Amino acid sequence: MQDRQDSLAARLMAGEHGAAAELVDKYYEQIYLFIRRLGHDCQISEDLTQETFFQAWHHIGQLRDDKALNAWLYRIAGNVSRHYWRKHMGSKAASIEKIDVPDRSKAQHDKIEYYEQLGHLKNAIERLPWKLRQTVVLHYLQHLSITKAAEAAGVREGTFKSRLNRALRILRKQVI
Amino acid sequence: MKEEKLIKRLNELAEQTAEPVRPGLAEDIKHHIPRQISPHRRGMDTINIIIDLRINKLAAAAIIIMALILLANFFSSRDSSGAGLLQDSKMLVSYLLRDRADGANLSAVKSRYEHLIQKSEQAVYYGDKADPQDRSAVLLQWKLPDGNYRVITGDLQEKTVSADELIELLSRMLQEK
Repeated sequence: MQDRQDSLAARLMAGEHGAAAELVDKYYEQIYLFIRRLGHDCQISEDLTQETFFQAWHHIGQLRDDKALNAWLYRIAGNVSRHYWRKHMGSKAASIEKIDVPDRSKAQHDKIEYYEQLGHLKNAIERLPWKLRQTVVLHYLQHLSITKAAEAAGVREGTFKSRLNRALRILRKQVI
Repeated sequence: MKEEKLIKRLNELAEQTAEPVRPGLAEDIKHHIPRQISPHRRGMDTINIIIDLRINKLAAAAIIIMALILLANFFSSRDSSGAGLLQDSKMLVSYLLRDRADGANLSAVKSRYEHLIQKSEQAVYYGDKADPQDRSAVLLQWKLPDGNYRVITGDLQEKTVSADELIELLSRMLQEK
């Protein structure tokens, strides 16, 4: 698996057209969901996913470490998203409408409470400062290891862990 | 909420927010793959290294041009240790940084304007129209509660003026145009 990924990176660095299509097939869902979980709406997330890949092709010469393809792509996506937030400072984070709360009349009370809690948690993540939000999304929602997530965020592991602790502390206070 | 429970909820949130991605998205992206993906270009190595050192592109360009001047002086009959080279470098740096300094000043004044507007002050920004080289041009003005006006001029000085003085400053700007 690693060999395949390595060869994909090598082919990309060689400017192979087919490798670019393979990169899209392999990562577009992850990147879309990452951007979506950072709080952008569906349409913007699609646009930013496209922008991420354009940036990747444009800066393919900067891909130096074959093993870092995944983190490199996340890093570009993070920068694209942050750039969008900066440009549209006033815009509100869009909610992910996916959490379906069952009908109150039928569902158990604790089930409703559970979904409400998830809703509060989601809102609390969207209210976090950008760097902390990115940290939580990369590690807990995208399931990247600390090493990979730190690489994707462009920080040292120690810094990433400290951000993660700070984010969890804030979330613990906000979500009862 | 306890940390273990919070982490459990975060994992559950990951499952809940794993929404389906529009199937056509991948194809849309692939349609825009450039015919020629620009691979690592050896000629760009020096520039990339300098930019990687977190030096901005303008400074990187200045360093490269200065290095070229140095080389040109070295291979030509000009005196590379004398004032000529120093003068060339000074001229180059001042030329490269001139517009940037003006831009930075204007953007600082613009930020101040945005801050005042947020505070619901009656502020007017002239930076878009005023000549940044004109040191007496009014870049920003806002009304004070006592009826006077506070202005920031092209030399970035901030002063309080009366309504009449402000009119005089603004009319001078118009005449100069």
